[in-house]
Amino acid sequence: MMKNISFKVLLQKYSLIMLLIIFIVISAVLSPNFLTLNNFLNLLQQASIPGVVAIAMTLVVLLGGIDLSVGSVLAFSGMITSMVVLNVSGPGGIILGFIVGLIVSSLMGLITGLLISRFRLPDFIASLAMMEIARGAALLTTSGNPVFGLSMEFNKIGGGFIFDKLANTAVMWIILTIIFALILKYTVSGRSLFAIGGNYEAAMLSGIKTKRNYTLAYVLSGLLAGFAGILTASWMSTGQPTAGNGYELDAIAASVIGGASLSGGKGSVIGTFGGVFLLQIITNIFNLVGLPSYYQRIAKGVIIILALLLNSFVASEKTKKK
Amino acid sequence: MKKRFKKLTALLLTGTLALTLAACGGSGGTETSADTSGSASENSGDSFTIGFSNCSQDTPFFANMTPIIEDYAKEKGIKVVSLNADNDTSKQNKDIQDLLAQGIDVLIINPVNEDGATAGIQACNKADVPVITVDKNVTSGQTAWVGRDNVEMGRLVGEKLIELLGGEDATGTVLEIQGTAGSTTMMNRRDGFNEAMKKAPGLKVVQSAYCDYDRSKAIPATQDLLQANKDVVAIFGHNDDMALGAAQVCKEQKFDDILVCGVDGLMEAVLKIETGEYHITSSNDPVLLGQTAVDAAIKYMDGETLDEFIDAGTVVIDETNVAEYADKELDFATMVK
Repeated sequence: MMKNISFKVLLQKYSLIMLLIIFIVISAVLSPNFLTLNNFLNLLQQASIPGVVAIAMTLVVLLGGIDLSVGSVLAFSGMITSMVVLNVSGPGGIILGFIVGLIVSSLMGLITGLLISRFRLPDFIASLAMMEIARGAALLTTSGNPVFGLSMEFNKIGGGFIFDKLANTAVMWIILTIIFALILKYTVSGRSLFAIGGNYEAAMLSGIKTKRNYTLAYVLSGLLAGFAGILTASWMSTGQPTAGNGYELDAIAASVIGGASLSGGKGSVIGTFGGVFLLQIITNIFNLVGLPSYYQRIAKGVIIILALLLNSFVASEKTKKK
Repeated sequence: MKKRFKKLTALLLTGTLALTLAACGGSGGTETSADTSGSASENSGDSFTIGFSNCSQDTPFFANMTPIIEDYAKEKGIKVVSLNADNDTSKQNKDIQDLLAQGIDVLIINPVNEDGATAGIQACNKADVPVITVDKNVTSGQTAWVGRDNVEMGRLVGEKLIELLGGEDATGTVLEIQGTAGSTTMMNRRDGFNEAMKKAPGLKVVQSAYCDYDRSKAIPATQDLLQANKDVVAIFGHNDDMALGAAQVCKEQKFDDILVCGVDGLMEAVLKIETGEYHITSSNDPVLLGQTAVDAAIKYMDGETLDEFIDAGTVVIDETNVAEYADKELDFATMVK
């Protein structure tokens, strides 16, 4: 019996890691090119920007919320920053571009957050509205044209490599994951997100500044999405008004695979990191083996279901024990 | 008191939003506006009105089309009413109804897809308004189609590529980065390119997953394919945007000898041909396309019969002729001087 429980605990704690290991083994068998340093570094780079967006999503999912606007905010901040970098030369332009892009995207998050926390709009609707507004604004900036001709210096930030191998964006993704894991664990505001998502009324009654922290999560979501947008523009050396299309759904999937519950109160950015990585491995191995992308999408769907079934199986076993 | 405070906050929020939008509108380049009422006074005796229904404005190619048609028609003293369907077939049908209600004489339409605008086109046929399709075609009811032969564009790039690789004896792997699944343009470009490739049996074509004409999807696909395939000598993208992503990967991973080519004549690609980071593109000039459509409308109103298919033409751009087409001010290489 004792052994049984510890197995369950193990399964619950490490279900994602097990899934990852299973997929890595399958991939390694399928393609000799999979388990190479180069491919691993590629994977890290490919997953990094969706990874930053997924951190943003996890913060609001913890509240039981959802932020559909992340992909559009990413595009808008990328466009704004590109315009600034294009028109203001030198390092000053780059710094100004970052500041303007981050402020605008945080503001968009602030508006979404206030609409939800102060004006009681449902999360889904408020962020859906912001998704439309930000996408429209991104397209409006240049009437749908991409912004190109950005400076090499700007390109080096998101497109550069450390030791000529490890992508800068991958490093930033890892650092941001660690920072937000610490914030969620050790700060009052961070911990309050779990409490609010778990039980809003109880959190409010116990003196947590629910409205303020709820809004704060959306501001951070906007900020992170905006940062991801700047990285995208810098990496591709182009501001693309259509960038980030569909990123919100991948981010939700990654959070959930990583153990987050859409009803709130449960989840972690480390889990999300694993979720993003798992989704990227699927795309990667299909490309390496050369299977048509129709299968990729089917496999992605199946894996989301598998991960969730595993999670809920573990969760129901846990409640049975009580 | 509290209620009033809420109202104030709401007002402030709306204000901020409006400002944000205004700010980005101001910094933008070419603003397009559908001129629905203004220029009615310019109508001279033999002038007429064109209705233009565009499928969407969220790619540079489509976004450019509206101002191109409006400006060129204005030069010719013709009034244009243009509407944008936002990739929605039912909106496009409603747009056509609205245009007919405004009394247009000719409809120029870039359909969302081949069959989606059938109801609207039938309404035009009933009202005896000629329909000229531009860029994409419809299955029936059109007077003429002004477009491009995408098979030819793919083939021309393929032939030029074989030439640059040293002729029909060339060997190696060619990566093909694919556009959107099921799109006619994608299939035509693919078929044309692969037909050309048959002439060089030593070249093996490896197709990528569908990347939706999107650069951020083409980059990981290229990285993965470069992992899985050795001796890659060239990469062909179904459009320049994706091929530019492939060129970026080649640069990052120091595959300096890989020839990168695409289709569309996107200026960013043309400028990179000058610097040697990009190698071939086949132009898909929206200016010439739009102007040819307006010219066709004029001819029709003058009583001429139009050919069923009017080819707006293409030109292959590579290192040898890039100087004629490189122009930083434009979004696409143009054949109109």
